[in-house]
Amino acid sequence: MRFIPIYLLLAFHWGAFADAAELPDWSGVWQRFEGNGGIFDPSTVKPGDGRAGSPGVRQFPPLTEAWEAKYVATLALVANDRVPDPISVCGTPAGYPRMLALPDVYEFIVRPETTWIITENGPNIMRIYTDGSELPPEGERWPTYTGNSVGHWDGEVLEFRTVSMIGEKRTILDRSGLTLSDQATVATRMYLTDEGLLRAELVIEDPLALREPWHVTRHFRRMPPGTRAYDYACAENNRNPITSSGQTLTLDSDGKVIDKVVDGEVIDNE
Amino acid sequence: MNRLLLALACMLVSSTFALAHHSSAMFDKSVVREVTVTVREFQWANPHVWIQIILENEDGQEEEWSIEGLGTNSLFRNGWRPNSFKAGEVIEIRFNPMHDGSHAGGFIGAKFADGRTLGTWK
Repeated sequence: MRFIPIYLLLAFHWGAFADAAELPDWSGVWQRFEGNGGIFDPSTVKPGDGRAGSPGVRQFPPLTEAWEAKYVATLALVANDRVPDPISVCGTPAGYPRMLALPDVYEFIVRPETTWIITENGPNIMRIYTDGSELPPEGERWPTYTGNSVGHWDGEVLEFRTVSMIGEKRTILDRSGLTLSDQATVATRMYLTDEGLLRAELVIEDPLALREPWHVTRHFRRMPPGTRAYDYACAENNRNPITSSGQTLTLDSDGKVIDKVVDGEVIDNE
Repeated sequence: MNRLLLALACMLVSSTFALAHHSSAMFDKSVVREVTVTVREFQWANPHVWIQIILENEDGQEEEWSIEGLGTNSLFRNGWRPNSFKAGEVIEIRFNPMHDGSHAGGFIGAKFADGRTLGTWK
């Protein structure tokens, strides 16, 4: 009986991956470059310095008529602070692609077979498989926060496609209330720019929400050497529960509601 | 005796209080209160730190207020520490109060007895 030497098996296996020595250095801790309070698409926001969740601030992606109507209705609620952010209840992550627009810091863990995007806020963990595998067939995937991502390295550029994101049922793109459907797909290219920024170019397609592909670009800057990321447990001391109408409340240190008006009713909390 | 100043600063948008976890619409960012207070408790926790302060109202009565800050991680990277505020310490503090007059606010800045400051203190 003849055996194939283990090193030949490993060489064949690894042959499907990029060479680790040729992968770019994305080590360290990173922070989003574009701010605007988490606005997802800074290139179309009006006013230009508008912050997500502020009255009168919106973006202009190529929305279908139906999705534009939804967005306009949501913006009216945002103006009254009645659009609860799903991540405010401290139970679910932000999901992709919103997780590219979060505060706090990021880590990008690059291995030949997988790249992990870790956001401190949330936290969110996204896995991008570059091991040569394909997307799971339809019957073996379901809507999740970060979806399914497979891709490959084109030199020092990570290219991947993401499908099966959970969409408007449980995620938003930012506090302006912008959403996608669960049929959205995202093609992403990530690479270091000559200026040392990590650039993410997204092409988002969605047969329900978008008339045409939506191009969004975001950047990250590397934090000074020695910067660390830390644990973040949102439910640790959440003193801002949300009512059924979407009002964000404030609790005192004993857990008692401080607000004097709750869901439109004046309450006696003295 | 606590000093209570109410500074109406129309269109003031210099607050450093930009919440990561929830809407900050409950805070009136056009109003800045600057008060001398006694720290009762500092809650160093996520998703937001809270400074429980005792201030004296215009009737000379003590009131407890809850001042909300950002999360521990970004604050730590900006010089805050788990013991930045100590119970019993007298400090000056600035915050955006809630629109409805409730006893809470969004943190802007603090100045300690030795002159040190945290947040925005101009």
